[in-house]
Amino acid sequence: MLFLKNIFLTIMLLLFCTISSLAQDNYTVNGVVKDSLSGETLIGVTLKFMGKAQVGTSTNAYGFFSYKLSSGDYDLSVSYVGYRTINRKISINSDTKLELNMVPDNILDEIVISSERRNDNVVNAQMGVAKINLSEIRNVPVLFGERDILKTLQLLPGIKSAGEGNSGFYVRGGSTDQNLILLDEAPVYNASHLLGFFSTFNSDAIKDVSVFKGGMPAQYGGRLSSVLDIRMNDGNKKEYTAEGGIGLISSRLKLEGPIVKDKGSFMISGRRTYADAFLAFSSDSSIKNNTLYFYDLNAKANYQINDKNTIYLSGYFGRDELGLNETFGFDWGNTTATLRWNHLYSNRLFSNTSLIYSNYNYVIQNFLEENNFKVSSSIRDMNLKQDFQLALNNSHNIRFGLDLNHHTIAPGNITASASSSVNEVTVEKRKGSEIAAYISDEWEVNDKINMVYGLRASSFFLFGPGNFYRYDAEGNTTSTKAYSSGDLVKSYFYLEPRISASYQLNSSSSLKSSYTRNTQNLHLMSNSTASSPTDLYIMSSNNVRPEIADQVALGYFRNLNEDKYEFSAEVYYKKMLGQIEYRSGTDLRGNRNVEADLLFGDGRAFGIELFLKKRFGKINGWIGYTLSKTERKFNDINSGQWFLAKQDRTHDVSLVGIYKASERWTFSSTFVYNTGNAVTFPGGKYQLNNKTVFYYSERNSDRMPDYHRLDFSATLEGKPGKKLQSSWSFGVYNLYNRKNAYSIDFRDDPDDKSKTQAVRTTLFGIIPSITWNFKF
Amino acid sequence: MNFLKTFKPVLQASKLNYTLMFFISLFLLSSCEKVVDLDLSNAEPVIVIEGNISDQTENQFVRISKTIPFTESNSFNGYTGAKVTVTTPSGILINFAEVSKGLYRSQRFRGTPGQTYKLEVLADGKLYTASSTMPYPVGPDSVGFKKLSFFGNSNIYPTVYYKDPAGVQNQYRYLLKINSKSQTDIVFEDRFNDGNAVSDVIIYDGDDIKSGDIIDIEMQTIDRNVFKYYFAISQIGGNGGPPVAPANPDSNFNNGALGIFSAYTKSTISIVLK
Repeated sequence: MLFLKNIFLTIMLLLFCTISSLAQDNYTVNGVVKDSLSGETLIGVTLKFMGKAQVGTSTNAYGFFSYKLSSGDYDLSVSYVGYRTINRKISINSDTKLELNMVPDNILDEIVISSERRNDNVVNAQMGVAKINLSEIRNVPVLFGERDILKTLQLLPGIKSAGEGNSGFYVRGGSTDQNLILLDEAPVYNASHLLGFFSTFNSDAIKDVSVFKGGMPAQYGGRLSSVLDIRMNDGNKKEYTAEGGIGLISSRLKLEGPIVKDKGSFMISGRRTYADAFLAFSSDSSIKNNTLYFYDLNAKANYQINDKNTIYLSGYFGRDELGLNETFGFDWGNTTATLRWNHLYSNRLFSNTSLIYSNYNYVIQNFLEENNFKVSSSIRDMNLKQDFQLALNNSHNIRFGLDLNHHTIAPGNITASASSSVNEVTVEKRKGSEIAAYISDEWEVNDKINMVYGLRASSFFLFGPGNFYRYDAEGNTTSTKAYSSGDLVKSYFYLEPRISASYQLNSSSSLKSSYTRNTQNLHLMSNSTASSPTDLYIMSSNNVRPEIADQVALGYFRNLNEDKYEFSAEVYYKKMLGQIEYRSGTDLRGNRNVEADLLFGDGRAFGIELFLKKRFGKINGWIGYTLSKTERKFNDINSGQWFLAKQDRTHDVSLVGIYKASERWTFSSTFVYNTGNAVTFPGGKYQLNNKTVFYYSERNSDRMPDYHRLDFSATLEGKPGKKLQSSWSFGVYNLYNRKNAYSIDFRDDPDDKSKTQAVRTTLFGIIPSITWNFKF
Repeated sequence: MNFLKTFKPVLQASKLNYTLMFFISLFLLSSCEKVVDLDLSNAEPVIVIEGNISDQTENQFVRISKTIPFTESNSFNGYTGAKVTVTTPSGILINFAEVSKGLYRSQRFRGTPGQTYKLEVLADGKLYTASSTMPYPVGPDSVGFKKLSFFGNSNIYPTVYYKDPAGVQNQYRYLLKINSKSQTDIVFEDRFNDGNAVSDVIIYDGDDIKSGDIIDIEMQTIDRNVFKYYFAISQIGGNGGPPVAPANPDSNFNNGALGIFSAYTKSTISIVLK
């Protein structure tokens, strides 16, 4: 019955969405804004209509806009960073469709690191959002010269690296699995390669990146802390182009071009590392025969059927391969596919329908004769999203839709040959569906007040088949119940209010505040500090309740010097329920009773984030500073007292500077500093069977040494005007060779067993890199 | 960079310990280690109890100590004056007398497989109790050696062959000595090879085995809680994997005592490498 009730509520919410439109005597202006050379649609372009008053809007994720104007003459100004502004006079006396093509500004003598309208950060009601422009990534120095959006993101306040060189990140005290990472709407479950040192996102293939660290709009859900929305390039609609790069550890190539000129295009981009290439030079065959590399492939095609319909098909495939001497093989990776259909029901109602597939799996094989085995594990999503954007009138933009996501998790399946001592074991698959409906309204209340408010009704259903267990407080099984296929085991329903509002103090400053509730039904089991390919996801169940977070934030936004400088200060407080840890000694491998070993507790995080950015000029960049505290509380840990979470870092500073020295040379540098992680060091030791064992008293009451690092890079552009454009990137990671602690371990002194010592492991000293990029 | 630490995870992968591939990449990325000075806080000393009852007729021992600060030399900080008793399922009370500082010894007796024993320690006015059920014995069929080689580094490791009893959950613990010198203790379970002919490779980080060395292996069967306790210690010890949040292993003692009480069976085997 509960199931039916939840469905009913979900449907009610949808019905509520079909509000009849208000009376109108205005005309609608709509259209799509594109790059004039590639035909690529442009996201977030500012359109201003200057008539009796100045009004405006911006394009959505598909380059589409719709706006209502009363009849009359207007000066239209279309502006987008990196493009020449279009100024045009238009007369409105009927519904009008505009086709706007913007010319890229090639004689750019400055680097621009914001694609938003100049004072959008102040005016927009949305808070806790950051956009990354791909030109930023191009210039920021990175490890091994591999451009990486996830690492550039970590330079923003409120977003912290999960570890040295790690593409995992913590947002406002949340853990890495509380970030929803979407690639063309498909959730990516393990967004890293080579055990975390590289992200799965090849910058060549990416068009736009937005990150929400608070105030999540209602169309997003399913994770507590943040949404990272990554959109791939559509491909050049006008002509064929190729670009790529050759670096120390990887090379990449991208091809794009029209399928039918101006109607459809494709993009295909690939990357392959050769970290193991050096091994082949060894004369030792046991070294030579090892492999360690990853590759990935992004592909996208789109076709505009007519004015009202466009379809997109995009996909990602990436794989890491590790092999040791033909005795051991390990490979893992993500596959995603997205089929999208943009449809205009009317000039005011934009619809996007997406059918999404995502799969993460790993396979481990041991080829040793008597112990041979093969382990495989996977998580798979089948997702349908229906999103409507309705320009109700000039002060209301309504967005509503449905999100149905069916998950299948196969935690572990072990197979072996008959001669092996290993038995075949299968941990039962788990199936569950997340069904959510949402509605939100972007409302211009008056000249001063803007708000985005909405509601997301989210439900989760765990289905059979399978045996489901109950446990006592010690983790012993107390009952087992068998369910058949399709039986409902457990369901949860939550209403998630989302509201974000801004109050304009004057043309260059505003106050904003937001409140959001998020819930999460997929939980990552990992107690290590680094992301691992064998990370295991579990769903909410009869033993595991959904995680819930409530966040309030308040911010002050100000632009200075004619929007040349952007400043913001945000404070936040986040309360989290249903946080998960597991007991010491828990073994996740092939374990059907993982839920028995879980501990549940609460979390809280609060902090202030300051951000100052110089947006244009020969020298630009930003400074971000975060002062924060993150804690967790579990009955069985630290005597039930609050303790600092591993995400806690009191001070966190990032400095990014980019200097365009001449037409061909660009220099950039980043500096990061953060308080060492909260960790547990031994408070004593004892002897057990003549072996030293360490005693830990309070959880996370110690600190790793402070982390800081300076990186530098220089880019030399080739001479302009040639058909083949090329550039060289030189980089130095960790310029002053700081020995940052990756971990500190404790052990007996190997030279004097009567003593114990602390040993610091440093991953990366100073690392130079060089990359050659080309385009034709 | 310690080579064994690098490859230990791979070696253990042969026993399905596949989660720990991490140090492979560390090796390729040329990490470095350095001994550092840390200002560690000293926690209040806590009582540690290590109680053992075997299935052999012998003196059984209980060791009681207190934790010492990290910076002190490793030593057994024995606790004097505890009252130590073991109760058998039939209600017989066995007293343990202190024979040296912190070392408590019983009269000769043997435990019986399948029976649950209760250890009680009265110290500092607090009563600490723990129970352990002695598993049924499983002995080694033979011991051999395996040469494992990775990245050009090869080593010889002792390997224990035995038949795991089908249909029961078994846990094993090995104590390895080379020429009478303790090298390691390591635990295994039969979760993935229940009922099979099993070969457990004892990977350790100590003296290399040379021709002529005498290798002593004590094979124990231990109860589930004892296995989890030692498994947790090996997990915290890093086990070659990425850093985990360290915590004290779950003890089977109440009242906050550290340590473990184990009723176990043992069989020993001695072999000389030719």
